[in-house]
Amino acid sequence: MLRITGGSVYDPANSINGEVRDLYIADGKFVDKESCDSGRVIDATGMIIFPGGVDVHTHVAGGSINFARAMTPEDHRRTQAFIRTKTRRSGLGGMAPTTFATGYLYAGMGYTTVNEAAVPVLSARHTHEELSDIPIVDKSSLVLMANNEIFLDLLEEGETERAKQVIAWYLWAAKAYGIKAVNPGGVAAWKYGDNASQLTEPVSGYKNVTPGNIVAQLAQIIDELGIPHPIHLHCNNLGAPGNVSTTLETMKHLEGRRAHFAHLQYHAYGGDDWGTMRSASVELAEYFNAHPNMTTDAGAVLFGDTVTITADGPWQHLLYKLTGRKWGNLDVENETGCGIVPYTYKPSNLVNAVQWATGLELLLLIDDPWRVFMSTDHPNGACFWRYPEILQLLMSADFRKECMACLPANIKNRITLPEIDREYTLYELATIISAGPARALGLKQKGNLGVGADADVVIYNRNVNIAEMFGHPRYVIKSGEIVIEEGDIRETPDGREYIIKPSFDPGTDDFLQPLFEDRYCMSFENYPVEMERIENPHLQDCKPQQ
Amino acid sequence: MITLRLIQQPAVPLEAECLTPDRLVELTNDQIRAAVLYHGKRQVRVDEFFQVDGELSDAIELHGDLSRVRHLGRQMSRGTVTIRGDAGMHLGAQMSGGKIEVFGNAGDWLGGEMRGGRVHIHGRAGQQVGAAYRGSLVGMRGGSIFVDGAVGIETGMRMKRGLIVAGGRASDFVGLQMKGGTILLRQGAEIRTGAWMQRGTIISLVDLQLMPTFAYSGTYNPTFANVLAGRLAKLGTELPFDVSEGGYDRYCGDRAVPGKGEVLIWKPT
Amino acid sequence: MQKSRFLPRGRKDRTMVLVDIRETKSVKAADIFLQVRPGKDFELLTILRAMIKDQPISDAEVAETGVSIEALQDLVARMKAAKFGAMFFGMGLSMTRGKHMNSAALLTLAAEMNAFTKFVAMPMRGHGNVTGADVIMRWQTGYPFGISFNRGYPRYNPGEFSTVDVLVRGDTDCVFVIGADPGATMPQPAIDHLARVPTIVLDPHVTHTSRLAKVHITTAPAGISAPGTAYRMDEIPLPLRPALKSSYPTDEEVTRRIKEAIQAKPDWMVEGPQRLETQV
Repeated sequence: MLRITGGSVYDPANSINGEVRDLYIADGKFVDKESCDSGRVIDATGMIIFPGGVDVHTHVAGGSINFARAMTPEDHRRTQAFIRTKTRRSGLGGMAPTTFATGYLYAGMGYTTVNEAAVPVLSARHTHEELSDIPIVDKSSLVLMANNEIFLDLLEEGETERAKQVIAWYLWAAKAYGIKAVNPGGVAAWKYGDNASQLTEPVSGYKNVTPGNIVAQLAQIIDELGIPHPIHLHCNNLGAPGNVSTTLETMKHLEGRRAHFAHLQYHAYGGDDWGTMRSASVELAEYFNAHPNMTTDAGAVLFGDTVTITADGPWQHLLYKLTGRKWGNLDVENETGCGIVPYTYKPSNLVNAVQWATGLELLLLIDDPWRVFMSTDHPNGACFWRYPEILQLLMSADFRKECMACLPANIKNRITLPEIDREYTLYELATIISAGPARALGLKQKGNLGVGADADVVIYNRNVNIAEMFGHPRYVIKSGEIVIEEGDIRETPDGREYIIKPSFDPGTDDFLQPLFEDRYCMSFENYPVEMERIENPHLQDCKPQQ
Repeated sequence: MITLRLIQQPAVPLEAECLTPDRLVELTNDQIRAAVLYHGKRQVRVDEFFQVDGELSDAIELHGDLSRVRHLGRQMSRGTVTIRGDAGMHLGAQMSGGKIEVFGNAGDWLGGEMRGGRVHIHGRAGQQVGAAYRGSLVGMRGGSIFVDGAVGIETGMRMKRGLIVAGGRASDFVGLQMKGGTILLRQGAEIRTGAWMQRGTIISLVDLQLMPTFAYSGTYNPTFANVLAGRLAKLGTELPFDVSEGGYDRYCGDRAVPGKGEVLIWKPT
Repeated sequence: MQKSRFLPRGRKDRTMVLVDIRETKSVKAADIFLQVRPGKDFELLTILRAMIKDQPISDAEVAETGVSIEALQDLVARMKAAKFGAMFFGMGLSMTRGKHMNSAALLTLAAEMNAFTKFVAMPMRGHGNVTGADVIMRWQTGYPFGISFNRGYPRYNPGEFSTVDVLVRGDTDCVFVIGADPGATMPQPAIDHLARVPTIVLDPHVTHTSRLAKVHITTAPAGISAPGTAYRMDEIPLPLRPALKSSYPTDEEVTRRIKEAIQAKPDWMVEGPQRLETQV
C-alpha cells in the first residue's frame, strides 16, 4: 500500500485541475482512503502529480526497429549505456534503444503504457517476444492490414462480410490490440516499385480497390467488430509537399466514423515541390476541429539525429535517394513492408524547419486536447525520450520564439507558428500525454487517477525548466510500485500486454487455409501466435456493435 | 614525465583508457596507482599491472609488451605517449592532439576516428589504421599517422582529412570508401586499393594493382606533391616530385560510386 | 515453383542467373551461368555498380574477372528490365578474400538497382538458428554479434570481439559453446585455445569441440525434442514443435541453471552509476 499526500493533482479524466488531493494505492490500483491504512507515505507537498504517460504511437519492438538497430551501431556507441546489475539487464539508449533500455527510458520520463503501432501478422511472434523484453511499461500493438493481399482481394470481389471475418481472424492470430493502416494500397504496389498516391485511383494489380475504399471499409469493419481503438491510419503520400489534399480527402472518406490519424505532421504540407513546401496546418486543423469523429497524434519533429522507420517503403526509398546515406528495406510477403533510413533534421534545412513548425502548429491549433496527442512517431520525428523538449515548446511561447530565431530567413509565409501565442496549461499537457491517448486507445484503466484505475502515476518536482521537470520526474509509480525514484531505477517489473479477441465465424480457418497455402511460405498452423507466447496477457473487451 | 612499466602480462586484454596525458597530468603518483583499469570484466588498480614513477605530467612513457593493453591514449588532446614495446588495439583512437610514438608494433584501429595530433609507429600496425569504426560514416578527420612497417587491411577506411604514411607494404582495401585526405604507400599495397573512394589521394611509390573501375588520366607532377614533400621532409621522410626524377601516373575513380578520388603512382625516369 | 498473380506461369516467368567459380549442380537449374574467376567477386560486383550507372569500363578490365563484357551488358539489361529482382548470397562470397566487403558490394548493388526497378538481397545463412541468435542479440544489445559485456553494457567491434578473433588471439580464459562446433571449422590457433582454457559445450551430440572441452553437457535437440522459436533467414519466426520427448534437459534449462549458480556467487561488479553518458 502507498499513500501520496499533499500534491497538486492533474487528472483530466476526472476533471481534476491542479487541486491538492491525496491518492491511495493498494494492490496496484487506486483505492479509497479506507482501503489504504498502512504502507509508505510519499509527501508530495508542492509537487505536481500526473497520471502515467500513454504513448499512442511508437515503434519499439519488432522486425523494423530491430533492423534499424542493426543499421546504426555508430549511434549505439555514442549514446548512454545502462549498466547491468544482478537484477537488471544492460541496454543502450539512442535512436533505436534496446528493449530493456526502452523500458527504462519510457519509465524514466513518466510513461507507463506504450502502443507499438506497426506489426505485420507474419512476424507478430517476433514483436511479442520483443515486447516481453521491454520492462516496466504496459504494452499493446496494432497489426498492419491495409496492404494485405487476401484482404485486398476480398475488397476487389466486394466480399465485405468475409473481409470482416478475415480481419478479425488476423487480429486474433497476431494477438494484437487494434488495426493499423499504412499508405493503403501503396505498400502493396511498392512490391513492384509503384506507389498509390490518388485516393480514388485503383491500386496497381486491382480494378476496384482504391486507397479510399480500403480506409472506408477498414473503418467500418473496425466499428462493426467493436475494436476499442479506431482505425489507426497513416495516410497516403506521407512527407510529400502538397499532401494536405490527400489527407483532407481521406478525412472526408471517414466522415461519420471513428478514426485516429497517426503522425499528422507528416501529412500536413502545402506547396507543389520541395522548393515551395509550406505548412498546411491551419486548413487541416480547421477541418479537424469541426469533425469530432477524429483523433490524431502530432508526429512532431525535433532537430537532431534519428532513424526513420516506416512500413511506407516507397517513401523510404525516396528518402534514401535524398540523403545518400544508409537504407534498409524489408518486404513482408503478402502483407506489408518496411523501410529504414537514418536521418538528421537540421534547423538550417528549410524542409526540416517547416516540419518542425508544422508539428508544433498542429498541437497548438487543434483546440481540443482530448483529440490531439503527444508523439514524434518514434523514432521517425525524434526519439521518444525527447518528448520533454516538445512539452517545453508547447508551454512557452517565448521559448518557441527563441528557437525560431535559428530557422532560415525564407521560412516566412511558410509557417504559422510565429503568430500562435497559445501556451499549454499543465491540465492540457496531462490530457495530451496521458488521459487523451488512454481514452483513444479505449484503455479506461489508464490515464486516470480515479478509484479503480491502474495506479500508474508520476510525481514531478516543480521546476521553471519544463523540459528538465518532465524529463526527470521525482517518482514514477507503475501498478502501485515505485519504479523510478530521484532519477534512479528502483524496480523493473514486467508489464502487461493488452490484446483483444474479436468474434469471427469459426469457418474462417477453412476459408483462409487454401488461400494461405497458395500464397504464404509458412504452414497455416504455424501462423497464428499462440496465447502461451504472450507474457502477462490481458484481454480487453471487444463488443460488436449492433 | 610519468613512467609506467608493465610488471605482469594480463591474462585477458587490459583496457586502459585512463592512461592518457589529459588524465594523468592531473593525478599524483598515488592517484595514478589507484586509477581504474579493466582486466576483462574486473576492475583493477593501475599498480596491479604497472610500476608507476612520476606524477602530474602530460609526458607518459610506457615500457613492456603492451600488445594486450587497449585504448592507450584514447581521446588524448595534448602531451606525449611514448611506448617502448608493442601497443594493443585502439591506440590513440579519437585523439585530437599530442603525439604518440611507439618503438615497436601497434595493434588494430590505430588512430581510429582520430581528429588531430601525430602518431609514429616504428614497427608495423594492425588493421583499420585511421579507419572509421563499424557503422560510422567518417574515419580519421585530421592529424597524421606514420607507420614505418607494414599496415593491415582497410587502412584509412572512410577517412576525410589527414595523412597516413605506410613505410612497409599495405594489405587490401587501402583507402576504402575514402572521402578525403592523403595516404602515402612507400612499398605499395595488395589488392583493391582505393575501392569505392569518393575523394582524396592515395600515392604509391611502387606499382599498384588497381581496381578495374579506375581510369588512367595522364602523367604529371602535381604542385601539391611539392608542398607535401616539403611537409614530409620536416617529418623525416621523402617524397619524390622533381620532373627530372620522374612523374606520377594519375588514375581516377572509383567509378562504381562514382567518385572523384585519385591514385598517383610514381614512375621514375 | 510458386505461381502468383504477377508470375502466373511460375518458373517460366522467372529468370535465374547463377554466379559461381565452378560449374556446380545448380547450373542445371539456372537459365544463365556466369563463371567468375576465384577472388574476383568484389571486382565483378564493383564493375556492375559502375555499369548500371553507365560508367565506361574497358573490355580488358572486365576480362580479368573471367566474365565477358557482353555477358555483363546482357546481365545489366536483364536486371534493369526485371519487375522484381532478388539476389541470394552465401559463404562463397562472405568467407573468401574481401569477406564482409564482398557482401557489402552485393548489398550496395541491390540498393542501387532500386533506382531502376525493385531489387532485394538476402544472405543464405548457415545451419542452425543463426538468424535467431542475430535477431535476439539485436533487440537485447543493439548489435548482432561480436559483442563484449565486460564493461557491464554491450559493446560491438567485429575483429575485436567476434568469436574467431577472440579465440585466435586467446583473449578469453573460459569458453561456453552452444549450438555451434567451432572445433570443426575454426583455424588451428582458435582450436588450440579451446583446448587450453576451460571449454564448456552444450550439444545433443558429441562434437569436435566436445573433444577439446573440459565439460560436455548433452542437451535435447531443438526442434526434435525441445520446443522454442527458430528464425528463418528472412527473420520470420517459426515455432518449433517437438515430435519426441527427451530425457536430456534443453539448452535453455541448462543455461538458466548455470546462470542461477553464477548469480549465487558474489558479484564482481563495483557499485557505480546506473548509466554512463559516454561509453568506452
